[in-house]
Amino acid sequence: MALKQKLYESYKSTAERFMGVRTNSAFKEKGVLSVTEFVIAGDNLVSKCPTWSWEAGEPSKRKTYLPADKQFLITRNVPCLKRAISVEEEYEAAGGEVLLDNDDNEGWLATHGKPKENNQEEENLPSMDALEISKENKGGIKSIPAYFGGEEDDDIPDMEGFEDSDNLAESDPATLQPSYFVAHEPEDDNILRTRTYDVSITYDKYYQTPRVWLTGYDESRSLLNPELVLEDVSQDHAHKTVTIEDHPHLPGKHASIHPCRHGAVMKKILDVLMSRGVEPEVDKYLFLFLKFMASVIPTIEYDYTMDFDLGSTSN
Amino acid sequence: MANTSPSPSPSSEGRILQFPPFQSLVDDGFWRRLSALKLDTLRTDQSPIFISGFYAPCSHSSVSNYLALHSESLPSDSNMESPLERVRGNRNKCPIPGTLLNTNTLESFRSLDRESLLKAEAKRILEDIYSGRAEEDPSVLLRFLIISFADLKKWGFYYWCAFPALVLDPPATLLNLKPASEALNSDEVVSLSAACNEWRNSSVTTDVPFFLVSISPNSGAILRPLKDWELCKDEGQKVLFGFYDPCHLPTNPGWPLRNFLAFISLRWNVEKINFFCYREKQGTADMRLSLVGEALVSPPSAWRDPECIPKAVGWEPKGGKLMPRFVSLAESMDPERLAVSAA
Repeated sequence: MALKQKLYESYKSTAERFMGVRTNSAFKEKGVLSVTEFVIAGDNLVSKCPTWSWEAGEPSKRKTYLPADKQFLITRNVPCLKRAISVEEEYEAAGGEVLLDNDDNEGWLATHGKPKENNQEEENLPSMDALEISKENKGGIKSIPAYFGGEEDDDIPDMEGFEDSDNLAESDPATLQPSYFVAHEPEDDNILRTRTYDVSITYDKYYQTPRVWLTGYDESRSLLNPELVLEDVSQDHAHKTVTIEDHPHLPGKHASIHPCRHGAVMKKILDVLMSRGVEPEVDKYLFLFLKFMASVIPTIEYDYTMDFDLGSTSN
Repeated sequence: MANTSPSPSPSSEGRILQFPPFQSLVDDGFWRRLSALKLDTLRTDQSPIFISGFYAPCSHSSVSNYLALHSESLPSDSNMESPLERVRGNRNKCPIPGTLLNTNTLESFRSLDRESLLKAEAKRILEDIYSGRAEEDPSVLLRFLIISFADLKKWGFYYWCAFPALVLDPPATLLNLKPASEALNSDEVVSLSAACNEWRNSSVTTDVPFFLVSISPNSGAILRPLKDWELCKDEGQKVLFGFYDPCHLPTNPGWPLRNFLAFISLRWNVEKINFFCYREKQGTADMRLSLVGEALVSPPSAWRDPECIPKAVGWEPKGGKLMPRFVSLAESMDPERLAVSAA
C-alpha cells in the first residue's frame, strides 16, 4: 500500500480522535453536515427510499456521537448491469457527455447527462476541482495485492470430489434448472454479467460529510476484488477519488469515494439551487448527494427519488 | 432453458410448478465472526449453532434477492446461551432461523451425511406445520442449514447452504400465473398495493414474510397474519396466500412458496391455492412485477404419519453442480500477509 496513503489515514484517524463533532449547522455555508443533520437527512432517505436502511454495524466499531441503531445507511443487492467504462464509450460515441465544469478541464463528468447541444444550460452546475488526494493515491490501489480472496476454483481442486452422485435437485421436477446451470457456460467472463453492490453511506467526522462505500459481488455472489470495482466507477474518478480503506462500521476493506471534496461540491450544488430561488432543506441533503454520486458510479442502480424541484426548468 | 428442462413449455396449461433455487450470500463479516467464535468460545465444540439469515422481497426487476449471512447472523458472546431470542430485523432484513454445523476438520466436513441433515430439517418444518408454530412464526417455513469447515491456519472457509423444501409428490400443478396487475381488476390492484405498503411500513409486520390477502367483493384488499385464516375463511372473501418473493423471474415464483404450499395444503386442507408473489420496485409494492398464480396441490399421504421423514431437496448448487463453496480470506485476515502488505 502506498506509504503516503497510510500516513494520511493515520493522520486522519488521529485528528478525528481529538476533533469535536460538528454541532452547529453549516450546510448552506460549507456544504457540510452536523451529526444531527446527518441523522435527519438519513431518516428522510430511509422514509422516501425504503431500499435504504439504517444499520448498527459492528458493535466494536460503534461511534458514540451517532445513535446506536443509526450508525450508517445501507442498500443491498443493487444491480449493476453494465460496466461504467463501457457506458462511457457509448456516451462518447453519441456525443452525449456533459462536463460539469466552469473553470478548468478537470471537472466531474455527468455520464448520464444531457446531449451536448444543451451544454449552455449547464453553466451554473458545480465544478469539481482537481482532487488533491489524487497525487497521493495515484497507483495506490494497484499496489494493494488482490485484497479479497475470491472464490477461486483453482485453489480447491478437490471440490469436484464433493459433488453428489445422486443429484437430488436435478431429479426434482419442481426445481427450475436455469440456463446458467448448463455445464458449458463459461465461468470466467463475469465482466459482462450482472454485478450487485451493497452501497453504504457513513458519516465522515473529519470532512463532516457523508461518504459512500461500495462492496461488489459477481454473478455467483462472490466478493469482487476492488480492482474490478473500479470498472464500475466513472473512469475519470476510478484512480483518483476511489480509495480502498477499512469500513468504519463493517469488517474488512471496501472501496470508497473519497470525501475530501464532497463539502465543496455540495456547497456549489446548493449555491446553484439558491441562485434559482430554491431554498435547500437539510433533510434533502442525501438526495442531492446521491444524485451527485451517480456521476461517479453511473451504472450502479441505487434509489434516490428526486421529490423536489431542482429549479433546473426555470428559463 | 427449455431444452434442459423436463417440463413442457411454460405457456402450456397445467405445467409442473417450478422454482428457481434460493441463493445464499455469506459475507466476509460472517466468517470473521465465526473465526473469533471458534478461537475464543467454541474451540473444538461441534454442536449445532442457532443462527439467523436475512432476506427481503425482490426489489429490482433484473436481480433476485438472496438469503444473506452477516456477522450479526451469529450469536454474540453474551447470547450464546439464549439462541431462541428473536433477532430484530427490518424491512430489508427479515430474519430467518438457521442452523450452522461447523466441523473441526475437512474430512468431517466431507463426510457429513447431507441427505440426513436435510431430511432432519425438513422433518422440523413438517412438525412446525402440524404444531401450528408456523402459523405464529411463519419464518420457520424457511428454516435453513449451513455446514462449514473453517481452516483457520490458511483462513479458508468451505461451506454449503441448504434451503430445505418439502417435496410434493406429485409436484404442484400450475394452472395460472400472471402479473398481479393483470390477474386482478384495477380497483383490487390499487387496494392491494396500498395494503402491501401498509404491511411493509408497519414495524410489527414488515419482516413477516408470509401473510394472507383477503379481498372483499367491493375490491377492498387487506393483509392479515396467517393466524387469521379461520376468520378469513368464514367471511367468504377471496383469499390469496402471499409471501415475500426473492425471485425476479416473471415466469416462476420463488423458492419460499414451496414450503408455504405444503403448509397451506397440510394445515388448512386447501387443494387449489391462489398465491401472491410479492415483489417491490424502489422499495414499494409493484403490481406489475408481483405475480398472482393458481396451483393444484395434494400433499403426500405419508406426511400425515407423525413418524414420517419427508423427502426434501435444497442443497444450494454452485455453477450448476451440487458442490460446496470455498472462500479464502487469507489476504484480509492472515496476520503474516497483512504485515507483508503493510510493509
